[in-house]
Amino acid sequence: MTREKITIERALELIEAYGAEPGGWPEDERAAASALIEAEPNVFAEVLSEAHALDAVLMNEMLPEPSVDLAASILARAPVAAPERKNILGRLSSVLFPKGVRWPAGAALASLLMGLVGGYAYAASDVGYDQADAVYYAAFGVDSDESWLSLE
Amino acid sequence: MSGLSELDQITRAASGDRAAQAALVNRNMPIVFRVAFRMLQDRAEAEDVTQETFLRAWKALPNWQPKAKFSTWACTVALNLCRDRLRKKKPVLMDELPERVDTALRPEEYLSSQQTLKGIEANIAALPERQREALSLCALEGMTNIEAAAAMDVSVRALESLLARARRTLKARMSGVLAGEKQ
Repeated sequence: MTREKITIERALELIEAYGAEPGGWPEDERAAASALIEAEPNVFAEVLSEAHALDAVLMNEMLPEPSVDLAASILARAPVAAPERKNILGRLSSVLFPKGVRWPAGAALASLLMGLVGGYAYAASDVGYDQADAVYYAAFGVDSDESWLSLE
Repeated sequence: MSGLSELDQITRAASGDRAAQAALVNRNMPIVFRVAFRMLQDRAEAEDVTQETFLRAWKALPNWQPKAKFSTWACTVALNLCRDRLRKKKPVLMDELPERVDTALRPEEYLSSQQTLKGIEANIAALPERQREALSLCALEGMTNIEAAAAMDVSVRALESLLARARRTLKARMSGVLAGEKQ
């Protein structure tokens, strides 16, 4: 809760503890202390001047930087993400391709599977020899076995 | 990453998100290092404490409770580690210790750093431990009184008393420098 009023003694305590900058004072007393100091400038002039001088000196503190490797060595020991749970296709893929999917091998396997499926479907279908022959001859640009024979 | 709340960042870091981990380190490592250095006055030791603080953080993140800011929590851990180290060192009188040379600095940098140390840093280093902690967190790292008191595990009133005594000591010891600043 923000205080509306503050005593001169308390305002002096704040300056002695936190320095001359209102930004460093406790939030709930900041506005009341600023208002009091503005109303009684002579009371606080000396103590504020001393506090400003010390604040300025503290601002000039020089410290060494940590070595450049420190952040990297901290991050090297940070937790690692847990491996993702795979769905059934992912699990099947890791069984078939334990070293990961390699596309040329994958494509060869896919075409092999397509051939097997196509062959099985064709063998299972009730297509007569005539119809099969017609497809065969059409593929080679001839109309029938007669014209095929006539080529000989 | 800047649009994320600290809690989001911590949750992501705990689950192994490298960007969140890097952001957490980049934001908080310098504060932890500076606080540790002011307490220990030794770069290598301050780095050890910083590293240990983050190792503890990595372990703590999965069960993180957002009771305090990460920086406050990290400074609490770092201060405790520093106190442990200082306690182990205490039997040795400071006068008996050989003068330490920071080998990471070149000779001219070392000389310059020693001249600076005779001023502000040496006076801060000479403050009693708890006063140094209070000044480091509040005046030098900009923590609020509530955050600093939490990090030091003291009441706000006790923190104020430590801060006032630290500033009074510095004023007395650095009266010459401060007279120049006032002009």
